Amino acid sequence: MNNKIGVFLLGVTALALFGTGVACAEDQLDAETKARVERFEKGPATVDVSKYPQTIQDNYEVFSQKCAQCHKLSRPINSDYALPDEWSRYVKRMMHKPGSGIDSSDGKKIYEFLVYDSSVRKKAMVDDKLAKLSADDKAAAEAKIKEVHDKYDNK
Amino acid sequence: MSDELKSSLVRPSDAEPTAARTTVPIWIILLTLLLLFLGAVYFDRHSGWFDKQVYTPYTTSEELALYQPKSGAASMLAHGKTAYETVCGVCHGSDGLGKPGQAPPLAGSEWVVKDVASLARVPLAGLNGPIQVAGQTWNLSMAPMGAGMSDADLAAVLTYIRGAWGNKSSAVSADELKAARAAISGNAPSEAELAKMTPVERGHAAFQKYGCYQCHGKDAKGGVANPNAKTAEQVPSLIYVADGYTKDELIAFIKRGERVIPRLNPGGPEPPHFMPKWGPVIKDAELDDLAAYLFSLKPKGENLGF
Repeated sequence: MNNKIGVFLLGVTALALFGTGVACAEDQLDAETKARVERFEKGPATVDVSKYPQTIQDNYEVFSQKCAQCHKLSRPINSDYALPDEWSRYVKRMMHKPGSGIDSSDGKKIYEFLVYDSSVRKKAMVDDKLAKLSADDKAAAEAKIKEVHDKYDNK
Repeated sequence: MSDELKSSLVRPSDAEPTAARTTVPIWIILLTLLLLFLGAVYFDRHSGWFDKQVYTPYTTSEELALYQPKSGAASMLAHGKTAYETVCGVCHGSDGLGKPGQAPPLAGSEWVVKDVASLARVPLAGLNGPIQVAGQTWNLSMAPMGAGMSDADLAAVLTYIRGAWGNKSSAVSADELKAARAAISGNAPSEAELAKMTPVERGHAAFQKYGCYQCHGKDAKGGVANPNAKTAEQVPSLIYVADGYTKDELIAFIKRGERVIPRLNPGGPEPPHFMPKWGPVIKDAELDDLAAYLFSLKPKGENLGF
């Protein structure tokens, strides 16, 4: 019986320590960023690419392999980035981190996959964001999306 | 309802209820302890820790007046403490004990209690190790976190750390700070010179002033070693920030900093260098110029094609 209580108390102590650790770790990231990232990471970690062109499916492989080196795939997959410029910026930001192992040709493949995937899977978000842009910016963004589709569709 | 079921619902009259000891189910114990734990967490976060000012606040204006800073010295000390905890305490700790591998202690440090000119040089110009503090070697680098503070603010901070945690050294005046700043400003541009510069040039001056080069390198090309950092164990280069950030995103990042650097080996030590939280230190106009300078660093003619 004493043994059981001992084990139990140990368990409770571990739980308390864990709780304290979590609370401390929380304080180190700014709350807003942390909440955003957590919200993204809760979503699915894969994309159903079976209906995408084969070459985009290949790019999805590159994306899965490279991006998962440092963070969960659910983070970019469920993020609120959707427009070509947003993806271009974020892919370059990650790629320029020392040791990312993403060269410019991989970077471009990842960018094209994300733009293609956003234009299909996050179409509502893309349309919503496009509607908020100036006429020039909107035309430029649409041209970039079209460029990716022209390159990959029907091939 | 069948007869059989009916009879089973009625307790036979000859059956006596019995009382016996049973063990308390484990889930009740678990639940109680969990509630206790959550209660303790709630108490920790939301209570005033029995502070009498929380539970029995001031009853008279005389009592309230007791808590107001009375003399210049007291208010300076309170001000210095606040500024210390906002900027310096992030690394050196609000208890002044520092952090192994990241920041040496200030409590009991010979650097804190020596002459004002040498002490002031650290927050004004930064410091690169190795140095000896309280018999230990610290091989780190500190950015000039005080370069953006006014003489009065920094004097208050230094006065605070020279008198806190068992340190017993004289107060520092704003005039002493002014003299120290003048002595080390060297060829730093004057206000008048800065006004004549382009934003990129002013941004370069800010890059120097806040010691960004100490970690990101003289030409912002990075390469300073940061053991066990996931970024190939080095501080990142900044020459491609134009690719990865809008101006607003870049400024927000500099203000926020990055206290926790992801580790290459998760079980390994914490990387010694991290991006300080510059928000309370660098002025907004300087941040604009700094962004202009950093954006100007992108190598010309490089195009990734997306």
